[in-house]
Amino acid sequence: MGHLAQGIAEPPGSYAGLTTVLAVLMLVIEFGMLQATLLRAQVRLYAAQSVVISVLAVVVAATRHVPGLYGLAAFSVALKVVAVPLVMLRLLRRTNQEIAGSRALGVASMVLLAVAVAAFGFFASARFRLASPVLPATALAVAVAIVLVSFVLMIMRRDVVSQAVGFFVLENGVSLASLVVAASLPLILEVAFLFDLLVAVVVFGVLIRLHHLRSETLSTSQLTELRG
Amino acid sequence: MTVVLVLLALLPLVAAALSLVPGRAVAPAVSVGVGLACLGLALTLVPAAARGPVGIGFLRVDAISVVFLLGTAFLYAATAVYSVGYLRGEREREGWVRYSRWFWTGLDLFAWAMLCAPLMDGLALLWIAVEITTVVSALLVALDGTRRSAEAAWKYVLIASSGLGIALLATIVMYHAGASVLGASYDLSFPPLLSAGSALPHPAVELAFVLAVVGFGTKVGLFPVHTWLPDAHSEAPTPVSALLSGSLLAVSFYAVLRYYQVAVATLGGSFPRVVLLVFGMLSLLLAAVYLVEQRNLKRLLAYSSVEHMGILAIGVSFGAPLAFAGVLLHVLSHAAAKGNAFFGAGVLVRACGSKQIGRIRGGFDRLPWTAPLFLFTILALSAMPPFGLFRSEFQIVAGGLGSAHDAPAAAMVALVTLAFLGLSLATTRMLFLPGADSPGAAAAPRGEPSAWMVAPMLVGILALLVLGLHPPDALTDLLTRGAAELGGAR
Amino acid sequence: MLPVSFVQALQVLTVLVAAPGINGVVSRVQARLQGRRGTRLLQPYYDIGKWFRKEALAPVGASWVFLAAPLVAMTCYLTVPLLIPVLTTFPLPLAYLGDILGGGFILALASFVVAVAAAGTGSPYAQLGASRAKTFSAITEPVVLFVVFTVAIVTGTDLPYALARTVRASADQIVRPAHLLAAAALFLVILYETGRIPVETHTGSNEFGMIEEARPFEHSGPYLALLRWGSAMKQLILFVIFINVFVAPWGLASDASVLAVGLAILALVGKSALLGVGIAVIDDSFAKLRLFKITEFVAAAFMLAVLAVFTLYFGGG
Repeated sequence: MGHLAQGIAEPPGSYAGLTTVLAVLMLVIEFGMLQATLLRAQVRLYAAQSVVISVLAVVVAATRHVPGLYGLAAFSVALKVVAVPLVMLRLLRRTNQEIAGSRALGVASMVLLAVAVAAFGFFASARFRLASPVLPATALAVAVAIVLVSFVLMIMRRDVVSQAVGFFVLENGVSLASLVVAASLPLILEVAFLFDLLVAVVVFGVLIRLHHLRSETLSTSQLTELRG
Repeated sequence: MTVVLVLLALLPLVAAALSLVPGRAVAPAVSVGVGLACLGLALTLVPAAARGPVGIGFLRVDAISVVFLLGTAFLYAATAVYSVGYLRGEREREGWVRYSRWFWTGLDLFAWAMLCAPLMDGLALLWIAVEITTVVSALLVALDGTRRSAEAAWKYVLIASSGLGIALLATIVMYHAGASVLGASYDLSFPPLLSAGSALPHPAVELAFVLAVVGFGTKVGLFPVHTWLPDAHSEAPTPVSALLSGSLLAVSFYAVLRYYQVAVATLGGSFPRVVLLVFGMLSLLLAAVYLVEQRNLKRLLAYSSVEHMGILAIGVSFGAPLAFAGVLLHVLSHAAAKGNAFFGAGVLVRACGSKQIGRIRGGFDRLPWTAPLFLFTILALSAMPPFGLFRSEFQIVAGGLGSAHDAPAAAMVALVTLAFLGLSLATTRMLFLPGADSPGAAAAPRGEPSAWMVAPMLVGILALLVLGLHPPDALTDLLTRGAAELGGAR
Repeated sequence: MLPVSFVQALQVLTVLVAAPGINGVVSRVQARLQGRRGTRLLQPYYDIGKWFRKEALAPVGASWVFLAAPLVAMTCYLTVPLLIPVLTTFPLPLAYLGDILGGGFILALASFVVAVAAAGTGSPYAQLGASRAKTFSAITEPVVLFVVFTVAIVTGTDLPYALARTVRASADQIVRPAHLLAAAALFLVILYETGRIPVETHTGSNEFGMIEEARPFEHSGPYLALLRWGSAMKQLILFVIFINVFVAPWGLASDASVLAVGLAILALVGKSALLGVGIAVIDDSFAKLRLFKITEFVAAAFMLAVLAVFTLYFGGG
């Protein structure tokens, strides 16, 4: 915030600018998910977001010479751009339901709420000032915002597919954060994290199918039996 | 000793694989055998770990992890035995063979993941193990296949996975902190992180600690991220509920403890303790209030778990060696007591055909063994002497008073008393009120559904008595050593 | 060397003269995309000329505002080109009359008087258009404000010339997230302000979804001509701000020589036509949003603009 006092915000340089733009693009795509009505559109937006983070990984790998990130990018393309969306789309074809469940709020209010939440994420992460040799700190702030907005996505959407996608988006946000502060994390750990995601996807899939089998809808508005 | 570690990390996995083998007797036999073997292996680690850490490759245990290992292994063995009886009672179920095969496989996998978590040397591997517990247990919660269990499993997997997403963020931030001191090839193992201590960047560790408390706290069942817990506990098959409540929560708490250690080494005690105190107090408050009003037996026990996890957090926040020892003892006693409580609840539910406390009546008339055992268990859960939880909570409160945390300690005692009120009211109604409201109840057969279901409860009560009256010296050494490690010794 | 005041007048003239042509280009391209042959490029000029020759009628009971509005609006649209870098890189004398905010106010004033005139007619279509336009601008105005904030933080002033200079200064300025986000937000606002798909159908039959197009419903003859011409100018002004301030401030005259200014005029027309083609493509590839979905559209613009300020405020934007 200090640079505001000086009147002019200096440009961050083309590498930092480009990477931050990619990060912000992920956030913008997430806002698109808040708005998307079709379940299929949600899944596709998720795939698009995963493409962006893979591209970001490649950019970092190429310019900052972290060869491990090429592997990570390849894995994340295979998993998040191809496998997960395919699984979800297949699931959707089986359930014959196209339109997402009702939202707890209108789109405009949800976007405003998400903007507020993202703002909180920005300022909260600004407090910690985690410097990174690889990516600008703004990208970390964006990652935190992505994670927080994914909670808005999960809470405000009332169908299992959107909620699952919300969780995957959360994972994307965490991946972005890991690119920023832990780009040199040993590849084996990164891959383990991703593998874990795969397992989670399978479990989500099984539970979505079970839910659909039992209540013949993807909506969660009837999940109110357990309370107290 | 290192062989023991490897065996502990492998045997349950083998059991899970063997449980898939067709044949009705294989899975129970293997699981019970492996469960008992794991308990034995964990016991052999006690004296060694009381002297110092044991490790091989990425497996490493110190006194703290052995305490959690012990609790989990005990509950694994007890649950395996109990499940034999439990599954026999489920015979009428459609597709029983398939159901029991998945049940045993899932149980072994679940236990494997929970045993692995304390064995892992490193925050990343720890996170992976905890994540595996989530996915396996979510499937186990959904195993009954009813609408309610599907709902519970969905809420559980969504909330817990999101929590673990936050925990992953914590892991990454901690890596960032570690790597800035130890170099980029640092793999998140504990000892270097602890010895780096105050050299670690403070903001990063602060952030990682808070994220870890919120993230892993989701699985611990800390307020306000406990909401999945009563649902999952009430809808899972009873043996799974026992493992969830007695072990899974504790294992997640173990993860929080690891971050606590690093945070204390870096930031000093005050910040992490305040965080834990706030979360612990709120959880205890919430649980105490909900316990008084609860109508569903298994949800009652679930809220009791929230209560005890709150107590653990508060105990750690006191920061006194006595309280630390109390916390570790509490982990063990709670595992035994909560396992027992769910075992007893399972028998009661089966005998009365309902989870509603209002429908469960005349326990003493029907169940000559379970009823008294359940009563003792509830008394133990309410921290009555002479059981283990009395000793542990006493130590925690004494530690709190001794370290000038008078107000939190007093509040804790008051809330625990409130919780006792809720638990004992419900229990007396279930056990002593005659089953007058249902005329058919008088004709209900007197007798236990299965000896397999009673035996683990008997052992559990004995264990609680031993822990309460006179813990073995080796165990006391272990707890003392663990308390010292929590206090900063290496 | 041309006198500076002459260049200043040329700025206004260029906008005045070229504006209907851009509309011609857009509708021509659009027709081609749809497989039609389309109208002549100069058709808008003929239309305006025709309206000027028609008689003017006013609804019974319409106040003087109804007749004054087209003139006031036209005056506003003639003022704004004085303030923004239409042709030159260097600020012309009258550029200091107002900053980017002042320009925004003048555009808003024009839109306000047209809305008031429409509201006074008693025609349901015109009133619907006016009230809708005001409803949605309740969100687009803050967007413009946020874009201005972004500009102000980036350049330290809110003179459009200064921003254009900053953007030209280095490639770093273009890839910075705040700049891209603000430009994207501005682009969405332009789509809304010029009444393009996905907000409304720009040309075509009368229907309930009209906003911008519904407001001059009751005007006729020269008044209608002025309003149409004015709205074409507003479109070109927004284009100029978008192109010459945000996206591509190249090809402007760096001195007042005849050649440079002449080239700048050509460049401006070319760039605007290109942008028009882009908008025609968007027009052709999306469906019109239902009326209540337009809030989502402007909310998206708002989100982009707010993100732009955030990234700047946090640093590294």
